[in-house]
Amino acid sequence: MSRTQSQPTRQSHVSRALAADRLGIPAVLFFVLAGVAPLTVVAGVIPTAYQTTGLTGIPAAFIAVALILAIFAVGYVAMTRHITNSGAFYAFISNGLGRITGVAAALIALLSYSFLQVGLYGAFGPGAAAEAAAHLGLHAAWWVWALGAWALIAVLGLLRVDITGWVLGVLLTAEILVIFAEAVSGLVHPSGGHIGFGTLSPADLTSAGFGTFGVLAVVAVLGFVGFEQAPVLAEEARNARRTVPLATYLALGMIAVVYAGASWAMAVHAGQSRVVAAAAQQGPGLLFGLGGGLLSSTAQFLFLTSLFAAALAFHNVVWRYMYALGRENVLPAALGRTGGNNIPKTASLVQSATGLVVICAYAIAGWQPMTQLFFWLGTTGGFGILVLLALTAIAVVAFFGRYSHGEGAWCRLVAPALAAILLTLIVVLAVLNYSTLLGVGRSDPVAWEFPASYAAVGLIGLGWGVLLRVKRPHVYSMIGLGAHAATGHLARTAGEVSR
Amino acid sequence: MARLTGTGLVADDLYLMAHHEVTGRPYLHHRAVGVGLAGALLAELVLAGNIRIRAERIAVAGRAAPPDELARTVLGLVLSERHLVPDWLAFLARSAERDVAQRLERQDYLTLAGSRRPWRADRWVPTDADCAFAPLFRAQAALDPAKPVTVAGATLAGLAAACGLGPRLLPFGPKGARRCLDETVRQLAPDLRELIALTQAATDRLLLSQRF
Repeated sequence: MSRTQSQPTRQSHVSRALAADRLGIPAVLFFVLAGVAPLTVVAGVIPTAYQTTGLTGIPAAFIAVALILAIFAVGYVAMTRHITNSGAFYAFISNGLGRITGVAAALIALLSYSFLQVGLYGAFGPGAAAEAAAHLGLHAAWWVWALGAWALIAVLGLLRVDITGWVLGVLLTAEILVIFAEAVSGLVHPSGGHIGFGTLSPADLTSAGFGTFGVLAVVAVLGFVGFEQAPVLAEEARNARRTVPLATYLALGMIAVVYAGASWAMAVHAGQSRVVAAAAQQGPGLLFGLGGGLLSSTAQFLFLTSLFAAALAFHNVVWRYMYALGRENVLPAALGRTGGNNIPKTASLVQSATGLVVICAYAIAGWQPMTQLFFWLGTTGGFGILVLLALTAIAVVAFFGRYSHGEGAWCRLVAPALAAILLTLIVVLAVLNYSTLLGVGRSDPVAWEFPASYAAVGLIGLGWGVLLRVKRPHVYSMIGLGAHAATGHLARTAGEVSR
Repeated sequence: MARLTGTGLVADDLYLMAHHEVTGRPYLHHRAVGVGLAGALLAELVLAGNIRIRAERIAVAGRAAPPDELARTVLGLVLSERHLVPDWLAFLARSAERDVAQRLERQDYLTLAGSRRPWRADRWVPTDADCAFAPLFRAQAALDPAKPVTVAGATLAGLAAACGLGPRLLPFGPKGARRCLDETVRQLAPDLRELIALTQAATDRLLLSQRF
């Protein structure tokens, strides 16, 4: 006669030991912020956005988008408590809108993170080339340095992640300190002798028409990419109900303050009416120029390490996505296998190959790296994340619409519905004004090609999802399980045995 | 003196497979080794008829104490508190590598070698490289349909692949070894199949949540 053990005892020795081994709020927050690489956004994205879009409402956009994402996060973290594989957008979308839509979302996510990762080489190359020429007397084309970074990331991507996690942490701390110092220095020396608050005004969000907000929001979302990663640690968190939500909101708040503050300081230092021209002239120097001497040199060096760290972080995000999809057999199973050191080598190498192809293509074609590679691909990656945020918000409403899971109306309906409306509105505005976002003419094909690429992979994903449902129902049934795919396989096997 | 036949315990064999036969260096991240060994320690109890596993829960199947001290300790733990298997895997993984190494040390399969560098921890190294390599051959039978495989051998191979030792094990099999291993695992008792799947899921979860 067997006795089944069903209910965990409270506060037992095992529970206490497991809790001690799990992650608290600081660890989850650190994990989220380490992947954000703030100097990449502050020195790279913000000046390029001022220059390319010609819009000055970027500081206000960071605050507005932080508020929208805070509303989004209400339903997002609530759903985290009720699904497995809660670290991936496509898992939310699979659970809320169905597995076929989930496959489409998975491919959109892969493309988005891939754009974000590869685009970073476009800022690293010119930045490293300028630094090497100025300080080392080495003169080489941007793509030589980009290929150097690519090679290092290709190797590090195949090593154990704990090596890179420690490095990312040191860089993050240094970056935030430098940004703070630069911003304070800029505010101490305002243009015209007085500090203006115009760029923080909500009115600046629609200064060139209502559609302007869509453009600014995409830029701002690009800065927040990484905040969505907190639920990745839901199953490793000490108290998933408290740790993940608090870490998410703290991350949103900290990112908003740092980015809005830094972009505002740049506008104050250069002057609101001159900040666009200054950004076009100075590029990342718009930030470095806020301080002087050692601070500027440190910031320039950290800008490179930040770009590198961000590229590595996104490289790891991409292979994790590929690995999860490979484990589910949604993508080729080879992507879901690990090498000798627990790292999925095939998935990592595929992303490295993508980076190599893009860098070579830009080098051969002679395209401009900072705007056409870094900013175009970066903002397009941010746009993809925006699409996923909107889909996820809708998925949250659909998920809780079927069963409340004990969540209140604010968490399961009001907040996610409001977020879905706002995020969908931003997506539409961004598509309609994509040419402004990229800084090209309305008739330029890239203004529709980039957003259309998501429509294309989305359609491919929908088709693939339908095919899986018809031809490979066992794979279809495991879509969205991620790490739990192994037990999903088991259930299928048990089903076959029982039949 | 250590023997080529091994101790007959799955966790001992898995430990030796997960570490270099001469230097004792681990092939995997220590968390992955821990999860694999935690699964192996529970597998020993399943194989000995002490526990059964159903729907992530542990059921007590027999109270006869296993002869091995570590197995007795683990059985005592799972009898003393009620938790799901993933929680037991996480709990046992914390100390499994050290616990199994000490058991192997008592059997003369390992010896603790002091590091020449003061900032490095001491490391267990195999006393006999052939004995340390032998578990690979015991698991190898699970990769070849032409070879007879024991339940312990199939469990060992399944757990090895689940914690990330597939690239170390599969090259020793013939073409189609991966498919053969999957098929061999499918033939195991439901308890062991579930334990292997849960070990794989625990490893994947650690990987996807960046714990290694």
